[in-house]
Amino acid sequence: MFFYYLDLAWRSIKKTPFLSLLMVLAISIGIGITITTLNVYKMASINPAGERSSQLFALRLMSQDNDTWERLTPQITYQDAYNLRKSTIPVRQTAMFRTGLAVQTEDPNFSPILEGVRVIDSDFFGLFEVPFVYGGPWDKQVDSEGGYKVVISEEINQKAFGGVNSVGKSILLNRKPYQVVGVTAQWNPSPKYYDVNNGAFNDSEQIFVPFSLAPIEEYESWGNNNSWRHEDIRTYSDKLASEMHWNQYWVELDTPAKQQEYQEWLSRYVEQQQRLGRFKHPEAHGDISDVDKWLKEHNVVPEDNKVLVGLSVLFLVVCLVNMLGLLLAKFLKRAPEVGVRRAIGASRLQIFSQHIVEVGVIGFCGGALGLLWAWGALYVLSSKFDLEQSLAQLDQSMWLIAPMIAVSAAIIAGLYPAWRICSTNPSIYLKSQ
Amino acid sequence: MLSMKNISKVFKTDLVETHALRDFNLAVNEGEFVAVTGPSGSGKTTFLNIAGLLEGFNHGDYFLDGVNISNLSDNKSAAIRNEKIGFIFQGFNLISDLNLAENVEVPLRYRGFNAKERKVRVERALEQVGLAARMKHLPTQLSGGQQQRVAIARALAGEPRFLLADEPTGNLDSLMARQVMELLEDINKAGTTIIMVTHDADLARRAQRNIQIVDGQVCDFSMYQAGENRGKTQSIADAASVA
Repeated sequence: MFFYYLDLAWRSIKKTPFLSLLMVLAISIGIGITITTLNVYKMASINPAGERSSQLFALRLMSQDNDTWERLTPQITYQDAYNLRKSTIPVRQTAMFRTGLAVQTEDPNFSPILEGVRVIDSDFFGLFEVPFVYGGPWDKQVDSEGGYKVVISEEINQKAFGGVNSVGKSILLNRKPYQVVGVTAQWNPSPKYYDVNNGAFNDSEQIFVPFSLAPIEEYESWGNNNSWRHEDIRTYSDKLASEMHWNQYWVELDTPAKQQEYQEWLSRYVEQQQRLGRFKHPEAHGDISDVDKWLKEHNVVPEDNKVLVGLSVLFLVVCLVNMLGLLLAKFLKRAPEVGVRRAIGASRLQIFSQHIVEVGVIGFCGGALGLLWAWGALYVLSSKFDLEQSLAQLDQSMWLIAPMIAVSAAIIAGLYPAWRICSTNPSIYLKSQ
Repeated sequence: MLSMKNISKVFKTDLVETHALRDFNLAVNEGEFVAVTGPSGSGKTTFLNIAGLLEGFNHGDYFLDGVNISNLSDNKSAAIRNEKIGFIFQGFNLISDLNLAENVEVPLRYRGFNAKERKVRVERALEQVGLAARMKHLPTQLSGGQQQRVAIARALAGEPRFLLADEPTGNLDSLMARQVMELLEDINKAGTTIIMVTHDADLARRAQRNIQIVDGQVCDFSMYQAGENRGKTQSIADAASVA
């Protein structure tokens, strides 16, 4: 009977194209807005670390004095980052910060470009599972001894070397030659959880250089530089030795035992620093947060997004109320035909099912059109209103979610009209037709 | 076949109570062709609706084919309507979006017949009414008489034992009316019990038995006298007919 009902639904839609179109439009607009906000919310809420979320930890230290900040900040000082790298407990660990460098090649026709660069340890690539097209990370030795090595993205490789394997070739960063050791494949985690401090939905950097080069090349921080006290910072060395928070630090701890061990090591580090006259806050401590906790603590998904989803659902409800009215008018107009069907053997349930299937078809069409609205809305938000690209991509799950919401919502709206039409007394209409 | 005992039906509004049927008693035997006449508002259509399980009643007992249908669920009532009862209406009541074959097929769909069985029955029913060649036509492409024949085919497709006709010739000219009446007589001869509500005294006379309803009660009736009185039945329809 389902296919019979589908056939009847299609005939009914064709019979009243304008009314049907109005209903499809009503639900599609509601779905379009709901899916747009839901998509942004979902894309913002994704934990990009996936299964490794519970093994990757962002590190924070309360290194400030009393009567200053009363909370942990997402960054630490350079001297702490430098010291923490000495621990042998983590499977992988990296200190890092964001900088910017002018990129050139030895090709005189290549126009220099200014690029965001991430200053990191070699473990960064394994820790965040960065895929490579060519080569790989630099040797560990570079992390301790320094070395002008660089990993570039496929995009930079295309611009600078025409996409060929550039491992072993030189690229100029701030006019200094760096040897390319690896080319990363497309990698752009969203949210950019490893550095929520510098725009959680910004694109990933395209160039990666060793953290060990920072004191030599004096890379400027392109992120936040937060000081809890006044310091006379005149040189880069002053900055490295300062209490300014401007570095991020991540560790990979693959077992609870290691996590416990590292936490204890961190406590001992804090005690050691206190003995050296730092970490004067009475609640000074070190903290590690896995990715999930990290994203929540930093409100990567703003509360506004939830409110927006709620409002869009309310708008969908308004659309459904309109649809309910239209359905009621359409179905009750069909009462004489329903009377005939009832007289010749259709049960109330069969009449109800017939109309619910019709509502479902309208809902499905509304869902499909709503997806197009959502796609268009995301495109406009991205191109005209600077919504981050990573949030403006229509998630694949929406292709399933949109029709499901649309059909379910339409069926809910259609319950009353379908019940009304199946409950009418058929004999009233049989005589009057 | 059909037995109604002391059936009462009251329509209530806030201000008025209307007794459509009161202590209504009637028995129809299998194979009978019964004409029901009476003035407008006498309760003929209410009787037909109750007989066809389209409406309930307030008091009394109604047995159809030995089944007490007083407290049947909607599903059960629908199943009985579908399997045992065929309806023919004054206004034909064909579904305008469906072609003739699809119209005739509707009750068979609800009965759960497969496509092959439906096709056989639809063709047979339309052949029976002489419209097999036009099964792809829409109702609006037919004359009134042809539409009524399609309605009869739809009623016959499920091979009901019981045919309820409400003014089946009311919207037809005399020639068409005679053709439809002849068709109904043929169907009755084949064994289907028919109850026909009509205002037409001539048509009523052609039935085996006439029943007059006045003020919701059977006023009088002539007993069926096997075969010999067909067409000569002493009918009070003459006196009571309302043109």
